Amino acid sequence: MDHEETVRLQMVRRLYGRAGHTVKALDGVTASFHAGTLTAIMGPSGSGKSTLLHCAAGLDRPTDGVVVIDGTDLGSLNENGLTLLRRRRVGFVFQAFNLVSALTAEQNVALPLRLAGRAAPPSLVRAALAEVGLADRAGHRPSSLSGGEQQRVAIARALITRPAVVFADEPTGQLDTRVSHQILGMLRGLVDDHGQTMIMVTHDPVTASYADRVLFLADGRVVDEYPGDKYTGTVTAELVAARMAVLEAAPC
Amino acid sequence: MLTFATLRERWPSFAGGFVVLFLGMAMVSMSVLALASAGPRVPDRLAGTPVFVSVPMTARADGDFAPDRPWSPETVTSLRERLGAIPGVAHAVPDRTFYAQPVIGGRPVAGDRGYAWSAAMLAPYRLTAGTAPREGEAALDRSLGLAPGARVSVLTVHGPVTYTVSGTVNGPGVYLNDAEAARISSGVRAIGLVTEPGADIAAVAGAARAAAGATGVVRTGDGRSVLETREHERTRWIGMQVLTAMAVLSAFVSILVAGSTFALGVAQRRREFGLLRAVGATPRQVRRMVYGEALVVGVIATAGGVAAGAALGPVLGDVLITAGFEPPGFAVRLSPPPLAGSFAMGVLVTLAGVWSASRRAARVSPLEALREAEVDDRPMPRVRWLAGAACCLLGLAAAAGAGGSDGSDAFVTSGLVAAMGVIAGLALLSPAVVPPVARLVSWPLARGRGATGMLVRENALTAVRRTAATATPVLVTVGCAVLITGMVQTTAAAFAQVRATTIRADAVIMPDGTPGLTDAVASAAGAQASLFTGLFEPDGGALSAIGATPELLARAGDVQVVSGTLDALRSEDRVLVADWLADKRGLRPGSTLPVSFEDGTSASLTVAGVVREADADVMLSRRLLRAHDPVALADEAYVAGTPAPPGPGARVVDIPTYSAEADAQEDRLVWIATVLLVVVSTAYAGVAIVNTMVMSAAGRVRDLAVLRLSGATGRQVLGAVAAESALVVLLGTGLGLVVALPALLGMRRAFATAMRADVPLVVPWPLILGVIAVCLALAAGAAVLAARPAVRGAARS
Repeated sequence: MDHEETVRLQMVRRLYGRAGHTVKALDGVTASFHAGTLTAIMGPSGSGKSTLLHCAAGLDRPTDGVVVIDGTDLGSLNENGLTLLRRRRVGFVFQAFNLVSALTAEQNVALPLRLAGRAAPPSLVRAALAEVGLADRAGHRPSSLSGGEQQRVAIARALITRPAVVFADEPTGQLDTRVSHQILGMLRGLVDDHGQTMIMVTHDPVTASYADRVLFLADGRVVDEYPGDKYTGTVTAELVAARMAVLEAAPC
Repeated sequence: MLTFATLRERWPSFAGGFVVLFLGMAMVSMSVLALASAGPRVPDRLAGTPVFVSVPMTARADGDFAPDRPWSPETVTSLRERLGAIPGVAHAVPDRTFYAQPVIGGRPVAGDRGYAWSAAMLAPYRLTAGTAPREGEAALDRSLGLAPGARVSVLTVHGPVTYTVSGTVNGPGVYLNDAEAARISSGVRAIGLVTEPGADIAAVAGAARAAAGATGVVRTGDGRSVLETREHERTRWIGMQVLTAMAVLSAFVSILVAGSTFALGVAQRRREFGLLRAVGATPRQVRRMVYGEALVVGVIATAGGVAAGAALGPVLGDVLITAGFEPPGFAVRLSPPPLAGSFAMGVLVTLAGVWSASRRAARVSPLEALREAEVDDRPMPRVRWLAGAACCLLGLAAAAGAGGSDGSDAFVTSGLVAAMGVIAGLALLSPAVVPPVARLVSWPLARGRGATGMLVRENALTAVRRTAATATPVLVTVGCAVLITGMVQTTAAAFAQVRATTIRADAVIMPDGTPGLTDAVASAAGAQASLFTGLFEPDGGALSAIGATPELLARAGDVQVVSGTLDALRSEDRVLVADWLADKRGLRPGSTLPVSFEDGTSASLTVAGVVREADADVMLSRRLLRAHDPVALADEAYVAGTPAPPGPGARVVDIPTYSAEADAQEDRLVWIATVLLVVVSTAYAGVAIVNTMVMSAAGRVRDLAVLRLSGATGRQVLGAVAAESALVVLLGTGLGLVVALPALLGMRRAFATAMRADVPLVVPWPLILGVIAVCLALAAGAAVLAARPAVRGAARS
């Protein structure tokens, strides 16, 4: 099964602050993310879920431990190497401020290819936009796109390099329920139809219910996993909400 | 792609950089064009003569405009014979010039040069009416409007002489018969070789070289430009200093302002750079992008600025002539090298300005894209702390040094360094210094009951970056303006004060529309004036000399006798020498000093004494000097008792007026240059202030909307915005004054001590208030204009 392991974290620790006042954002996380799956990372605020995403995606460096993306140990790369890896193998969808405001939708999608010095054939870019249903909005700037449309442009951009893994940080955090369903359905479709690997951070049980697997974090540690030892069935929003309620009630 | 898209979308944040580079490079290219055109020129009145033989010219230090030693009359005669005999030479014409200023309608006219009639063929100027002048006659410039046969009074060195106009000429000047001209001319320093038609110029020049030997130097083509007058040379030199200062100041300020503009732009776009980094831009790519944007802006702005400079160059030329920074006839010529150089400089200035901003942009971490709010809580860079502290320390050390000094010239320098150091230091530390001061100053606002006062205070305190960015240029401009203008005027006032206390006379006669006083003018008013001129040593070096009587020296009051007495000047071959000359040459009473005079004749003078605090190297009898120097004009004449009316070209003034006016011409140039610097720096400060206001407008939109929603009227919001910017400008003004005024007061005390006189502190307040008013108007106007769309938008929602 090792060859299907797209992202692996091993005993990852991340400390913030100076000596004496350290905060353990991550405290020895070990996890694997397999190809062609959608994983949701959940946890109360301050549980370290964003830090986990940043470390797994190579945006931040862990204090200890190993992060491997697509067979490459991130610890062996310098800042430039990390950037090049992100450019080739990783895609991002953030909660907001995903797009460069000066560029059109089309130009935003082409950005990663251009940064890599590769040709960005208009047909490829158009196809990527068509896939997220925005073929007719190619020439628009972010300011004239709705929030849902902006997120769809961000998804098209994340996929344009055919990355090994896409990281999403609260991708529907600023959208209403109806648009959230569209976006999440689209992400689910990418995993099912194209075998895309995807990892997303969320605090919303409904969002998490779209995932194949949910990791629960508390105080910088993985405390539970669905489906896992305790539960092996389909992940539902109710189930996740119940688990979260327990975690949030626990004394910090 | 990204570069152009960003520029299109975000042009307001580049507007400041664009404007400052445009203005800066317009100034630089104009100055550089003028500098390139400001080389010596062949004077028009000599332009028609291909070959000249001039006296050998000694190497002179920069800023030294002492004349060269003229030939002796015998040398002129023999040279003229030898040169005139060269085949192809029609005439060998000694260039004789003298003081001659026609008086028309009771007023001396503007031109004051006279020439020997034969010298008219050097241009060549021709008769437009009448005949060549004979003894007692003069040919005049036709533009004076006098017809042949008219009688005209001409001021000469001895006094007014009435001539009959023999003819008119198509060139400037008064032309006298050669023999008459020779009697009142300065020594001959050049002989022009007017050639026959078709003569071989190179052969003539070669033959002239052989004929002149070591006595003279042959000048042809552009080499003839050394024949321009020392006065024009000096004017050009002053102009060069001013133009260079303008160009350097403009380039330097452009780097600073463009740099801070780009830095502010980068600070506002941290999230965008973070996003780019997250999606795969390397730090190098981000840096290149910032450089690219700046270069596009810089290249366009520089090209525009250089074009504007080229277009305005000719206008600048006229302005420089009017201001007295370039001689008449100066014209700014357009040539590619200065323009290309200015353009290259603009690009370099842009790159230098954006250097730090691009490094900062490249250091943005990809995580910045995920930050919730756009907070700018980065501490001040350590380098800035260190540099600011170092400047302040340097300034304070200089101040301490100045305080301990006994009031000499060094004090002025120390005072200047002290104030400049503290100003630069405060500017660097402004993000740390301004907020606490603002808190202190705006304290009364918090006590009032109105909302505006509270808003103004809290806004100024929270928007540290905006407050500091606005207050700093005001601080620097007001501080420097007060310091420099105050220093110039206080110095002038100090010297005037000293003159007033040392002169022992009841009144002074000063030139009025003339370059100096004729002998007749001075004696008509019952006075006699000393003459200031030059003597030449055997090696060709020049000594300054005063021709005076013992009474004149006593009245002027500043000379102190070390050995001998002033009475030595009653005998014609005795001289007094200044102590520094005595030390340098080992002169003692009884030594001989071999010199030659302006008329070319030589003499051995006996040193009769040594003096201190003299205004010249050598002091000799006025009669002796006048006998050998037919051209020197007196600068002023002292009168004891009630003066008689002096006649045209002079006026009588009382001592206080004289004291204030004595260096008026010199002071006027310095003052124009000072005002120019103040205006230019105010313009740059204005650009910086407007830029800050426009760029920070975007960040205020939400605040202003909240204000509107909580019930503030549009007028109240704009009022608060205007009041806040006014508060910040006044804050900068206050800081500038706090730094500059003590330095000025200290300087005044030092002057008073050194000159043993009560020196008034003179600060040109109208100018300073104008600078402050401009800053206030720009800050408030720009803030309100930038905030208006936000206020309107909020009203709609």
